[in-house]
Amino acid sequence: MRVAARRVVVLAVVLLQLVFVARGYWSDHKEFAFQMFPESSTWRARVVRVTADGRRVAVERPWAGYRWDELVSVRGLGYPSVRHHADAGLDNQLAFLDAALDWVASHTPRDRETRYLEATVRSWHNADPPRVEVLRSGVREGVR
Amino acid sequence: MSAAAVGGPARPRRLNAAFDELLGRPVSMRALALLRVLAGPAVLLHLWPFLTDALDGHVYSDSFYEPYASWYPELPDALYAGLLALAALAAVAMSLGFLTRVATAATFAVVAYNLFLSTTHFHNNRAYLVVVLGLLAVAPCGRELSVDAWRRRRAGRPELGRSAPAWPLWLLRFECAVVYGASGLSKLLDPDWFGGTVTWQRVVQARDELDSLPDWAVSVLTDRSFHTGAAKLIVLTELFIAVGLWSRRTRYAAVWVAVVFHLAIEGSASVQVFSYLGIAVLVVWAVPSTRDRLVRIDPSGAGMRRLGGLVRALDWLARFRVEPAPAGSPLEVVDRDGAVLRGAPALAFILSRLPLTAWFALPLLLLPSVRRARRASER
Repeated sequence: MRVAARRVVVLAVVLLQLVFVARGYWSDHKEFAFQMFPESSTWRARVVRVTADGRRVAVERPWAGYRWDELVSVRGLGYPSVRHHADAGLDNQLAFLDAALDWVASHTPRDRETRYLEATVRSWHNADPPRVEVLRSGVREGVR
Repeated sequence: MSAAAVGGPARPRRLNAAFDELLGRPVSMRALALLRVLAGPAVLLHLWPFLTDALDGHVYSDSFYEPYASWYPELPDALYAGLLALAALAAVAMSLGFLTRVATAATFAVVAYNLFLSTTHFHNNRAYLVVVLGLLAVAPCGRELSVDAWRRRRAGRPELGRSAPAWPLWLLRFECAVVYGASGLSKLLDPDWFGGTVTWQRVVQARDELDSLPDWAVSVLTDRSFHTGAAKLIVLTELFIAVGLWSRRTRYAAVWVAVVFHLAIEGSASVQVFSYLGIAVLVVWAVPSTRDRLVRIDPSGAGMRRLGGLVRALDWLARFRVEPAPAGSPLEVVDRDGAVLRGAPALAFILSRLPLTAWFALPLLLLPSVRRARRASER
């Protein structure tokens, strides 16, 4: 019984590790894939709050007692307008930015005017020409 | 029943038996005990920013974070801070070998829990730390180099066996090789990496940080063509480490290169505990048997006595038995295979097998005089 359990545990760990390594080639977050220093890619973004009346207000300006750099202080997202290295790869970085927009939209209850947040991202994948894409948070409930 | 029918299932059975023997083979847990001691400081370094933030009243959930799963349990702030403090205490106990099994399991559990709280917590060095702690937690690595063993001796209880089934050690070796192999392979398959674009751009982006270097060095480092070769060297270095560790012929070279590799990374990038952990884990590649080499030292000379003390103090992997030699005898070492070295070659050999001096002494083994002495002793 013990011998069989040992065999199963070892094979499971080896197989799981190999799956994680393979998954690193398509996943945004490359957990246990050990892809170190994968890219020299850089990015910057203009992040705005789009209000119910259609205004687009940069998040660098505090609002309703909130500050972007306090709300989003990790993974190099605190100052998105400054061009940064995407240290775990561009896909990983933009996945974090996308998730951060959603998190801010849903964790700022004092804000009664923002409908959604929007990031216009300019990114440079290694030496490729720049690419522009727009990321949006979900629309906040109760703001019209 | 035909012979083929009999031979068919017999081969898988033999393979299974060989595999089970490999996993269950009793080997020395000394390397894992040493790694356990070394892993404690890595955990403390890793937990430090989380702990200091928590003591300042700031935890991960106060700003953007992204849970892996909605069902993953999250604790109230005070309890979370307490858990981190508990993990720090457990890491100290783990290193000291006090209630080793419980301390190691607790350290692993909290570090893993913290890692999986948010995708934003994830870094390769933390993943590696969790893997190492998990395997230490399942290995009986507290039977030596531990307070537990000392208390047992003091109480007059019989010592627990220092050998145990090898499978946690093999898994740690596998994980160690995967770290270098996966990293090297991902760079090999990426034309931007293998062609030098990535390293060149990173250096150019960090041009301001090169000001302390002489002009010629800056000129070389920012030269695009330099990176065409340098990137290939980096990739092949990682792959060499991953493969070279598995063969006894190339293992010492791979370990030596790995140390250089980690020190170079530490000097050029911010990688948290990766360099320290990466170097510490290399001890698992020591042959898992102990006291199977003999050092004979003439105790009548003060210098030789000091050398004997030094060998005993630095022999963290328990590779040598130190015995007295007749007065006037030169320093002598008998290797596992019976080969005998004397004098300076013996000293170079001994230092090359002690963890703290190995990196400096291993190149000495390539000196013609040492190689000649080794060859002569094998005849």
